[in-house]
Amino acid sequence: MTLNLSVLTPNRIVWDSEVKEIILSTNSGKISVLPNHAPIATAVDIGILRIRLNDQWLTIALIGGFARIGNNEITILINDTEKGSDIDPQEAQQALEIAEANLRKAEGKRQKIEAKLALRRARTRVEAINAIS
Amino acid sequence: MAMAALRREGRRFASLISPRPITAVRSSPLYPTLEDEGPLGLRHISTQVVRNRMKSVKNIQKITKAMKMVAASKLRAIQTKTENSRGLWQPFTALLGDLPSADVKKNVVVTISSDKGLCGGINSTSVKISKGLHKLNSGPEKETKYVILGEKAKAQLVRDSKKDIELIITELQKNPLNYTQVSVLADEILKNVEYDALRIVFNKFQSVVSFVPTVSTVLSPEIVEREAESGGKLGDLDSYEVEGGETKGEILQNLAEFQFSCTMFNAVLENACSEQGARMSAMDSSSRNAGDMLDRLTLTYNRTRQASITTELIEIISGASALEG
Repeated sequence: MTLNLSVLTPNRIVWDSEVKEIILSTNSGKISVLPNHAPIATAVDIGILRIRLNDQWLTIALIGGFARIGNNEITILINDTEKGSDIDPQEAQQALEIAEANLRKAEGKRQKIEAKLALRRARTRVEAINAIS
Repeated sequence: MAMAALRREGRRFASLISPRPITAVRSSPLYPTLEDEGPLGLRHISTQVVRNRMKSVKNIQKITKAMKMVAASKLRAIQTKTENSRGLWQPFTALLGDLPSADVKKNVVVTISSDKGLCGGINSTSVKISKGLHKLNSGPEKETKYVILGEKAKAQLVRDSKKDIELIITELQKNPLNYTQVSVLADEILKNVEYDALRIVFNKFQSVVSFVPTVSTVLSPEIVEREAESGGKLGDLDSYEVEGGETKGEILQNLAEFQFSCTMFNAVLENACSEQGARMSAMDSSSRNAGDMLDRLTLTYNRTRQASITTELIEIISGASALEG
């Protein structure tokens, strides 16, 4: 029994094939989805999506969206994503440092919120690389 | 004997040159009338006039051919993007349904059209459908408002539905079309317009020669709740347990906004594709017509030229024979 996973963004289809299990991070925490899961519709937070096929884990960094799970079909609609293998480790690390510096400098509520979001994105990308290795 | 034969020739030419092209030339104010009457009462157009006309038709043909190539290359660029964006919008329809028949109080019709002209009839069809939707949904309790994207629809709708227009957005194509741009746009619309149902009218790109006008409906969360409770197609929504956030309503709100911006993105791309495709076929038929016109003008030109040579010959020969005898 396998799950059919499709990960879609407005610009392209990132993933469309069968997997054994996925770990998704939502607003209320990380959930793991196995075949025959109960049907749910949920919002996806900025985090990593881990996919297991044939005892190998793959990571994709997700930047916010929605997911629908039902009947062994998972549809994840994302604003933007990056595959773990596509991210350059040094660049991601640098981005993380810049984001942290920005957060410290930020003043005013709006800038703080933006800086926090940027930080989470950068952290997600770094995690994506680390998780593979 | 020779004179009689020549006279017969002249009369034959007179019947060939029909009076119609002459009047056509006379009515156009650009061309000076350089007519002269030959010895048999023939009226010739001067070859100069016909040659000028041929030159301008040839130029038009070159320009329309170039426009067709430009449209073809632009089409190729957008087509891949459009096909990729199609996948995103289908899960929404699967989950939330596309209910054009939803009966709501506040309808907003989002008409997507092009900014530039010369693209065939696609803008008129979009406007016709928007007007039709407006009529369908106007009644004692219901009202319909317009949000217009693009100059062409603005020109047509401003004329008779000015009071119903909420928002006009033009010059979309100046910035490259990507999802961030469109989501900002969608945000603007959602902020400024209250709605129960949004109907997006655009031309779906099915192939290079076929563009189908389509309406996508996006319902506001409250209506989605209402329809889900009443069962029917949206009844499945309740079977999904909604997590990830404080309340179900909040999630549905976010979902509806996301759905709107995704459907907008797809609609804008498809319309851009249809615009380029329609422009391609319009310019193609234009250059073909110009080619036909050029052929006809060439025939007229040759006839005129031969007629004037014949007239000269007649004059010379009759002058010479008058001298002799």
